[in-house]
Amino acid sequence: MLKPVSDIAPDRAEPLLEVRDLARTFGARDGRAAGLNVIEGLSLAVTEGEFVTVAGPSGSGKSTLLNMIAQTDRPTAGTIRLRGKTIMDASTSTLTPGWHCQIGYVTQEDNLLPWRRLEENILLPLRAQRRLDDAARARAAALIDTAGLAGFERFYPHELSGGMRKRASLVRTLAYDPPVILMDEPFGALDAQTRTELHADLLRLWSLRRKTIIFVTHDITEAIALGDRVLVLSRAPARVIDEFRVDLPRPRDIDGLIAAPGFARLYESIRQALARQAPRRA
Amino acid sequence: MRIAVQRIVILAVILASWQGASLWFGAQWIPAPVATARALWLQVQNGELWYHARFTLSAAVIGFLIGGIPGAVLPFLIRRLATLRAILDPYLIAGYGAPKVALTPLFILWFGIGLESKVALVASVVFFLVFFITLAGLDSVDQKLIAAARVFGAGPALIAREIIWPGAIPYVFTGLRVAAPYAIGTAVVGELISSNRGLGYSIQAAATNFEPAKLFVGVVALAGIVLILNAVLDFCEKRLLSWRPTGGIAERAQTSF
Repeated sequence: MLKPVSDIAPDRAEPLLEVRDLARTFGARDGRAAGLNVIEGLSLAVTEGEFVTVAGPSGSGKSTLLNMIAQTDRPTAGTIRLRGKTIMDASTSTLTPGWHCQIGYVTQEDNLLPWRRLEENILLPLRAQRRLDDAARARAAALIDTAGLAGFERFYPHELSGGMRKRASLVRTLAYDPPVILMDEPFGALDAQTRTELHADLLRLWSLRRKTIIFVTHDITEAIALGDRVLVLSRAPARVIDEFRVDLPRPRDIDGLIAAPGFARLYESIRQALARQAPRRA
Repeated sequence: MRIAVQRIVILAVILASWQGASLWFGAQWIPAPVATARALWLQVQNGELWYHARFTLSAAVIGFLIGGIPGAVLPFLIRRLATLRAILDPYLIAGYGAPKVALTPLFILWFGIGLESKVALVASVVFFLVFFITLAGLDSVDQKLIAAARVFGAGPALIAREIIWPGAIPYVFTGLRVAAPYAIGTAVVGELISSNRGLGYSIQAAATNFEPAKLFVGVVALAGIVLILNAVLDFCEKRLLSWRPTGGIAERAQTSF
């Protein structure tokens, strides 16, 4: 088992990942005169080792934002910088998904290969990157163990529960150790009980190696439970309209979180910020 | 076990209706199951059945391979050539839709009335079936899996090997499975039209000589061949696709890959 690293305050000076004035317009189609502005003037910065959650109303372009950072989609305008280097702007001609394995992406669906066993799925990125050596295998095995998947290495995805597949998809990304990990409502389709378990698992895994995480959700409790900071998005065209620091101590007790001092007030502030974004006629 | 029992019950019902029909219409039109079995046994013993079945099977299997292999491989090669696909599309559709049986006289003209013309006919039918089903399979490979793999650093070769190929194999198999009975059927049709050997010829000859029992033997033998062929394909499919949830075809159809 790996040991958690001590609680280091994130370096405030230089952002690891910076998004500036990002915009995304989907093209005009028949019956839709103007293009659809999903994101406009969105800026955010994340420092190394920070866990940022992004809350926004549904349809506010949260997935589109992550797709552009992961470079599976192209922004209409704006720049994305990693360690001060511009990795994407309007002049970029070809997409580089995952930016040379520097940006991991855990999507809503687990995207495990149905024809590969759990362990093969988890090791696939390392194999793709030609980094599959004994040390990598050992680290993956430790992660599998921490995620509670030990004993299921030889199972096919369809033989696992939804929660286990999510864990596997998480471990697959953690195992190849990208400095930045994007998460797009990875626990959306699960029941409340499993979600809570996975929150605890995610925080435990995260505490082993403080990766920089941008976690998108529409669930306020989830946003507070996981994040160091909660960014609130406006309705489309989305931009960051509010920001809340979560001062709950780590390691966090997910089950007792709602009773924690300050939780209710924070929840209410975020709820109100989101409510101001609710469609006028609903 | 229950399935086996129920299958035997259905077989009994079929045999009983057959026997009933034979009594009703007369054995000269519909020979009784026992008479058919006796004729079958006779043909097995004197080697006549195997003599004809071998010919039909050769035509079907060789044609199946000549049509099926390019039908399964070609879609993988033209998968990413959108322009070529667009150009070829109407020709392939026309080739798929045109009744190949109508080509039989042409094939006989080219290849004679021997095995070659039947092989050509079978190949022309099998190719289009396998080709279109495989192509549909390639198009339906989950794009999200591919996008996820690109993010974690997979190149085109790894994506082809790890995602597209295994994702399309079930469709290749479906194509082969659909095409297999067609291969037998087409070979027989070729023989019916013009041949001096094969089960189709045997059936035609039996009708001409007014030997209905012999005719029925041909049909029963063909049904048996299709069943055996299907079992072989089943076995191969299970071995190659062990990762899939077990279950019947209906259940499998509902599983999204």
